Amino acid sequence: MNVTEYIASGILESYVMGAVSDQERREVECLSSIYPDIRHELDQLSEALESYALLHSVEPPASVKDKLLKQLDFEKPEEKENDPIIRPMPVDMTTESTTTGLAFRTTWAVAASVGLLLLLFSFFLLSQLRTNQKTLAATRTTNETLQAEMRKLRDNQNQTSQALALLRQPGLRTIELQGNEKAPQGTMLVFWNTQTHQVAVDVRSLPALPANKQYQLWSMVDGKPVDAGVFEATNGNALLQRLNRSINRADAFAVTIENRGGSPTPTLSTLLALATVNT
Amino acid sequence: MKRQSSLVSESVLIEKLIQRDQQAFQWLYDQYSPALYGVVLRIVRDDEQAADLLQDIFVKIWKNLDGYDASKGRLFTWMLNVARNTAIDSLRARKTQPASAIRTDDENVHIVDRQHNTEQPNPEHIGIKDIVEKLRPERKQLIDLVYFGGYTHEEAAEKLNLPLGTVKTRVRAALQELKQLFN
Repeated sequence: MNVTEYIASGILESYVMGAVSDQERREVECLSSIYPDIRHELDQLSEALESYALLHSVEPPASVKDKLLKQLDFEKPEEKENDPIIRPMPVDMTTESTTTGLAFRTTWAVAASVGLLLLLFSFFLLSQLRTNQKTLAATRTTNETLQAEMRKLRDNQNQTSQALALLRQPGLRTIELQGNEKAPQGTMLVFWNTQTHQVAVDVRSLPALPANKQYQLWSMVDGKPVDAGVFEATNGNALLQRLNRSINRADAFAVTIENRGGSPTPTLSTLLALATVNT
Repeated sequence: MKRQSSLVSESVLIEKLIQRDQQAFQWLYDQYSPALYGVVLRIVRDDEQAADLLQDIFVKIWKNLDGYDASKGRLFTWMLNVARNTAIDSLRARKTQPASAIRTDDENVHIVDRQHNTEQPNPEHIGIKDIVEKLRPERKQLIDLVYFGGYTHEEAAEKLNLPLGTVKTRVRAALQELKQLFN
């Protein structure tokens, strides 16, 4: 570009007078940084205007300097004083921040309330759950007890019906055996079916035995003892103790104490009871 | 001149000012406040308002020092522009208020004359002032309108009832004449 022509155009004079558009101002600043001649002319024009301005110098009131020295913050580079032009800004920002702060607080309060409600509700649910769990456990225990009782009752009924079935059969003979001097309180019943040859005992009261001993029933046939099976001192839960021996004939029944499992011949010293079968 | 001798250390001065050195600020104020005050007074034509504006101007200068770019122009010119712009803005803000009447050109001339007469004589510049008196009146009037009044070329042309081209030519001629007078 023609620098001389540009300088002669008058734009630089307009620039230093502050009478140019923003675009022109940027153009002058840009070109003056590139072309030393333009920069030189610009500096000379500026100096001329500076000198002209100096001509109008008037000593300002001393109060201005005092106010400035008080107003300005020295030794604090980061600190920014309230510029008159931007003074409204912090006010706006303060009100805005208070409103947002208020909104924030409201939001927080609502959130906290909701959170508290949820917490309380979950505590309520938890206690409900615990109550339900306890009730459930109690019900389960009751149920188990009832089931056990029912099982026992069914067993009893089975026993009873078995016993009853046994007792109902025709040809049944009932023999009562009383304990001798070795078992004075001893008393028991022997049920013998002469047709089916089945034998059962109902122990009402017999002395308890060591673990390795059992009672043994004998049927006396023509004065000779025949093994009729072993049984326990108590019936336990059952009404009767069925003995798995088949007895065809019996004149009498006797009870001895033998080793567990029974003996082929009775130990006469342990004879407890003896009763004849009435014909 | 005192001002020119100080220019050597202008970059040092600016550095100290950016570091918020109070002595540097006092020096800056003592050095430039009469010139800036004179310019502001010439624009707003009110002592009290000019004093308030001068305070605002120095605060602005203080704030915006790190925004000053030495490669784009001289410090004093920059300060003068801050002062001019602040004063002209204030003047325009006042003019937009319906209460204050817009001054006619005659009134303006009268006030400028009055201001000129009541101005404190600055002994240091009396010699130069004589030179300025040599400035052609129509050029001086244009400089005063544009520089101190904040008029655009178009506004000045309208005000002085002159073609825009003439105004532009006259501004250039006025500045060139000023340049010759001071150099």
